[in-house]
Amino acid sequence: MKKYFEKQRNLLDYALASLWRRKGKNISVFLVFSLVIFLLASFLFLSRSLQVAAQTTLRQTPEITVQRMVAGRQESMPLTYAERIRGIFGVRRVSPRVWGYHYNEVTGANITVMALAGDPELGREPLAEGAFWQQGEQGRAVIGQGVVKDLDLGGRRTFSFFRDDLTLKSFAVAGIFAPETNILTYDLVLLDIADGRDLFGLADDLATDLLVEVVNPLEIATVARKISERLPDTRVVTRPQIQGTYQAVFSWRSGVAAICLLSALSAFIILAWDKASGMSPEERREISILKILGWQTPDVLQVRFWEGFALSLLAFAAGAILAYVHVGYFQAALFRPVMMGWSVLRPGFDLVPIVQGGDLLLIFCLSVLPYLAATVVPAWRCAAVATDAAMGG
Amino acid sequence: MLIECENLVKTYRADAGIFTAVDRVNLAVNRGDFAVILGHSGSGKTTLLSLIGGLTRPDSGTVRIDGVDNWQQDDADLAIMRNRKIGFIFQFASLIPTLTVLENVLLPLSFASRPEGDRPYAMELLERVGLGGRQDDLPGRLSGGQQRRVAIARSFINRPEIILADEPTGDLDEATEKEILAIFHDFNKQGVTFLVVTHSRELAATQLNPRLFLMKNGTLSEMSSL
Repeated sequence: MKKYFEKQRNLLDYALASLWRRKGKNISVFLVFSLVIFLLASFLFLSRSLQVAAQTTLRQTPEITVQRMVAGRQESMPLTYAERIRGIFGVRRVSPRVWGYHYNEVTGANITVMALAGDPELGREPLAEGAFWQQGEQGRAVIGQGVVKDLDLGGRRTFSFFRDDLTLKSFAVAGIFAPETNILTYDLVLLDIADGRDLFGLADDLATDLLVEVVNPLEIATVARKISERLPDTRVVTRPQIQGTYQAVFSWRSGVAAICLLSALSAFIILAWDKASGMSPEERREISILKILGWQTPDVLQVRFWEGFALSLLAFAAGAILAYVHVGYFQAALFRPVMMGWSVLRPGFDLVPIVQGGDLLLIFCLSVLPYLAATVVPAWRCAAVATDAAMGG
Repeated sequence: MLIECENLVKTYRADAGIFTAVDRVNLAVNRGDFAVILGHSGSGKTTLLSLIGGLTRPDSGTVRIDGVDNWQQDDADLAIMRNRKIGFIFQFASLIPTLTVLENVLLPLSFASRPEGDRPYAMELLERVGLGGRQDDLPGRLSGGQQRRVAIARSFINRPEIILADEPTGDLDEATEKEILAIFHDFNKQGVTFLVVTHSRELAATQLNPRLFLMKNGTLSEMSSL
């Protein structure tokens, strides 16, 4: 057993020394390999990160949103609609919502203003400072991190928005959402519904739309259908529909990006295979000499394996770490426009790279294993032939 | 009998048809012999050496080393036999260009023990072939003759029972050739068996009581004297 390990150690020594001896060629391969892994890993980490962000968003999506449509456009909705919806069996709660945008001419930013009645779902999101207003308490707002920047609040904790008649409505900042909720709250100003109606000039018996919660989530589609039947002038959007739309867009984009990256990976593997299978006469002669000196075909293969493994593992680690930094620190600057381009209104948020064992294994299998095959198989073909190539004569 | 060949035949396909490189060769070399096979280029000497060293499989016939038929062994045992019993000196230097002189010499020891353990012996061999102090050089910095001497040092590193040498002094100047032959002589006196193929009658003449063979058109015959 001791002899076996000594032999393995010697083979490993030889393989690492061999890598170093051909450092020019191997550094080139390492750089290209790392780049391919970096691109692939960045894409996967970003995908996971967006998926998690999307799940967070969808978790807050109302089970059913009901909007009134007139001539194909959304119109304000009378609260009497809420009463008719409440009469449907299976509906747990109906909440009116007022929302719209405030355009900041100074910064060019659109701030989302949302006003809710009662106990809003968003009221469960953590705050970096302050507290939510009490029910019915007016003139107080909870705002996102991006709003603090857009309005250049600094240490100030009051701000004003213009009403449509250009009169000012002032708010006190009751609280600021925590940064980890940025995907939901970055550009959000959350108000009590009475303040929302006041700001947007909406009558007390109107809302922008209605949010419907059901008793049994499995009945969302049934309840939605009943609402549509009872209120034919409304558009009823369910959470699964939003999820489906999101998935379709995301999957299409990620699919396109994946095809591009897998093409790059395939090209690299083909190149590696081509290079490795066309072993140079020096490499063939080296294998021949080693065999004459008593090395066996498996020994030659082990050396080639260790060489390939060390090189590809280093490239894998370097590529994966760089990808993590790319997504986490540089916010996936290379891929973000591709993956997130559909949403120009998306508030800014910090990507947190999500590293899953399965993803790393996938990258490993797609890159390291083919590279190992591309290095070991040609060596096997060479090592399996007659050993007298180095004899001459 | 340390080396024993019976009815050894090896043919190759050539454009002109089948070429018989080794034709029904019988050879018996005793332990401690210094055997020299003389012959012109293309007479089949190198092929015979490859057959004896277990590098090439014969079409027919047997090769026995220390009583064991080479081709009755599997690849692993054959490799072990080559590694432990035989030191090869090729027609050309056959060094690995990316290894240093010392690493080349230590190469056959990759399996026996930690090569570093035999470093003093490798250094001694390099001294004996006149390359003391050049252990860290790469082969590319040595002349053809110096590279040949490194290969000779390498062939002795495993303390083999048999040296199979193909034109071992081909590139060497006269003085170095004498030094190398003296080394061969020393090892031969210690019991190492030599089987040397050459077209140089001078090499055969310098050894004390060599057994002489003549290879001609693939056939081998023993000579009583030069």
